Amino acid sequence: MKLKIKYFVLLLCAISILSCSSDDGIEKDEEKPTITINYEDGFPQACTELVKGETYTFKALVTDNQALASYSLDVHHNFDHHTHDDQGEECELEEKKEAVNPLIYMENVSLEEAYTTYEITFTVEIPTDIDAGDYHCSYSVTDETGWQARTSIDIKIIE
Amino acid sequence: MLHKVLGVLLFFSFTTLAFSQNSFTVKGVVYNAATLQPIENALITMGNSSTNTSISGTFSIKEVESMRYTLSISHQKYTSKTVTLKVSFKMNLIEVYLEEKTTALEEVKVTGKSKQRELQESAVVVQDISQEFLENNRENTLMQTLSKIPGVSTINIGSGQSKPVIRGLGFNRVAVVQNGIKHEAQQWGNDHGLEIDQYNIEHIQIIKGPASLVYGSDAIAGVVDIQPNKIPAPHSFGGEVNLLAETNNDLLGVSAGVKARKENWFYRSRLTYRDYADYKVPTDKINYENYIFHLHDNNLRNTAGREADASFSVGYLGDGIKSETTFSNVNAKNGFFANAHGLEVRTSDIDYDSSNRDIDLPFHKVNHFKITNNTSFSIKDHDFYVDAGYQYNVREEHSEPVPHGYMPTPSDSQERVFNKNTYTLNVKDSFKSISQHTMVMGLNLEYQNNNIGGWGFLIPEYNRFTVGAFAFDEIEINSNLHFLAGLRYDYGFVDTKAYFDWYPSTINNEDGSTSYVHLQRAQDKELNFGNISASAGVSYIHNNSTFKLNIGKSFRMPLANELASDGVNYHMYRYERGNLNLDPEESYQIDLDIAHTTKSFSVGLSPFVNFFENFIYLNPTSNYYETLQIYEYTQSEVFRVGGELRAQTTVLENLQLNASAEYVYSRQNSGPKKGFTIPFSPPLSGLFSANYQFKNILFFKQPKLIAEYKIAAAQEEIVPPEEVTEGYQLLNMSLVTELALFKNNLPVKMRIKLNNVANTKYYDHTSFYRLIDVPEAGRNLSVSLTLPF
Repeated sequence: MKLKIKYFVLLLCAISILSCSSDDGIEKDEEKPTITINYEDGFPQACTELVKGETYTFKALVTDNQALASYSLDVHHNFDHHTHDDQGEECELEEKKEAVNPLIYMENVSLEEAYTTYEITFTVEIPTDIDAGDYHCSYSVTDETGWQARTSIDIKIIE
Repeated sequence: MLHKVLGVLLFFSFTTLAFSQNSFTVKGVVYNAATLQPIENALITMGNSSTNTSISGTFSIKEVESMRYTLSISHQKYTSKTVTLKVSFKMNLIEVYLEEKTTALEEVKVTGKSKQRELQESAVVVQDISQEFLENNRENTLMQTLSKIPGVSTINIGSGQSKPVIRGLGFNRVAVVQNGIKHEAQQWGNDHGLEIDQYNIEHIQIIKGPASLVYGSDAIAGVVDIQPNKIPAPHSFGGEVNLLAETNNDLLGVSAGVKARKENWFYRSRLTYRDYADYKVPTDKINYENYIFHLHDNNLRNTAGREADASFSVGYLGDGIKSETTFSNVNAKNGFFANAHGLEVRTSDIDYDSSNRDIDLPFHKVNHFKITNNTSFSIKDHDFYVDAGYQYNVREEHSEPVPHGYMPTPSDSQERVFNKNTYTLNVKDSFKSISQHTMVMGLNLEYQNNNIGGWGFLIPEYNRFTVGAFAFDEIEINSNLHFLAGLRYDYGFVDTKAYFDWYPSTINNEDGSTSYVHLQRAQDKELNFGNISASAGVSYIHNNSTFKLNIGKSFRMPLANELASDGVNYHMYRYERGNLNLDPEESYQIDLDIAHTTKSFSVGLSPFVNFFENFIYLNPTSNYYETLQIYEYTQSEVFRVGGELRAQTTVLENLQLNASAEYVYSRQNSGPKKGFTIPFSPPLSGLFSANYQFKNILFFKQPKLIAEYKIAAAQEEIVPPEEVTEGYQLLNMSLVTELALFKNNLPVKMRIKLNNVANTKYYDHTSFYRLIDVPEAGRNLSVSLTLPF
């Protein structure tokens, strides 16, 4: 009898643990969004040279299994060679130098609708009074769950 | 001098007394030959009389006639000894040293039988960790050593730092207590470990479950309670030197400790120094997102470090009073993986691969100075315990100055500096109120003052004051049935200081104009918190089985970074935002513990169910701040269930098998991550170990071979930004032996350990570097020697 009680208690614990671990059907979004510039309109491509005073349309393609939420574009100088891109292509970097008046471009956009595919577009005018040289351009995107995807590209700004 | 005179007078007064009676008293003390600690409950037989040694190892046999006797001393855990002596009035105190029996060695052992009984009777589920366990299982950090205990795991930051995790809850949800004072460390970042010299620890108690009742805020998930070291035996002097060498990170470590005691006064001191190089991982490249980092010689570049610790204490043990004052300092410098500390990918001109021992940027320097005083005394039926502490923490984080957003390139590498003063006072009174009742009442006070510096901002300056009062009653219904019930109230306030950026940010106003503003990151704010904790439990012993049931409510006050962060965490490449509206975390838990022990077999099960009303975590949102993803401190309901299973058996006389398993399931029931688990959830895992005790060979005494096999399941329950982690299997081997090199000296202890025998490439889900896909350390051979004197 004593033994039975002991096994019963053990069984009870096992059941309680197992029963609690069963999912009650809430769909969890476990997929990250994707982001790429590797398509026909993707811009800028690795090692692209942008000319001061010109206006460019930056484009990247993003997808998600459920709903895309926000995206951003950050362009900052890489005069100190502090980072590199993830495009698998090595761009020739100029000599290191001090920044005087570098271009700082930071924009965030929240999507109003729940897209699963979207093309990010930013119209960027390259000012004429900024420092020319190596720049780093990074896109990022989140989905409504809070997963993020990023990609970055090494570019140059020239006179 | 006074003590000596008193001692001599005392000695004469006794001997005179004995002499006048014309019969004698034989007095002595029994010590453990290896540890020099007194042995309790040793059986002393002399002629027809016999007695047991007291808790301090002493014994006395009265009314002995003057003649020659044979005294035999025996204890189940020690090799018996016989001593012949001639009883006369000139007798000295007999000192007997017993060697530990080879068969009595266990991996986790409780100290002495009465201690074991005490733990059995306590309604609180406490895991007792002996010095022997610590010595036989020592890894690079204290928490790595303790992670072999089911239910305890660790967040490793490289090879030299770790954070405690109990049943899947870590960071400040585990209170680490040393000498009765809550240890202040590790709350300044994910990459900030505990600052404790593990060589200076003899005995630890771990509580797996809410323990706010006695320990206050932070003990919501459990407690690692580092007990005061044992007081040395009277008129003793001893010490040891520990040497350690490891191959994986080319570590060299030395630690030396001494302890001495006269009659009442005692001293101890320890110095520890460790220096290690980059650790090796079983891969030559790291794939992180689309980046590939090639590793030179398998070295995880710039993860070298060094640590220098010192401690000194002086104490007095007198009639009804015990007091010890301890000074300690822990100083460390740790490098962080150069290519991506946290999530940001970095390139650098620093030639990291020129040496694997240098510590380049990024790195941190920490210093932790601590003074504690522990005093206990008795007045009538009351036992009073007063613990006072002062702690001064400094942490400097250095990284290469890089411009970000509107922040220009900073002038130096000093990214963040924290300075914190913590003052603690704990008072406790334990007394027997009526028969069968033991009441304990206590008061805890703590004041913290945190200052910041550097060009990065994450945690504001703050002052924090907390006060808590508790009372609990232990009731002994009969010797096998015990109850415990208690109540606690805490009040606290946090006063955060304003902080403004040191550089202007560009703001585009609505009217089309542009302004340049030093943005405010933290506000001057005073916040108050109050909370009730409670706990009730029962312990029932039936023959060889012990049953324990506990129900408790615990709490944790939000930390300043959870309340008032507002800035870029460059290491993690994200924007962290606090929330001034956070409530104290409240957690309810039911714990069960069933243990069944026979001579050759023991099994235990400890399941729990836990509910958090408002679990605080750093939630990755869908939004951006200046192109960085915003992570916001958020609260949600969390349900958790899990437990540990442990079994041990002695198959053959010399072969012992151990098995343990741990599992936690967590789920958020509300909030933006409803349905997800909580961050850093350890996977289901099991640990199997076999110990084989060999016979003595040559000068190898008590050689023991230990094989440990760990199996961890995949962790598929994740929450953003985590990744699913594959399961793994890992084999560690070790050989522990004593070397009787010199005939009359105490034996030298040696341990040879081979971790990750197969050089398996695996990922630990709760490791700091997991997020950037860095595997755990590869094969490591380590040799350690302990030379007692």
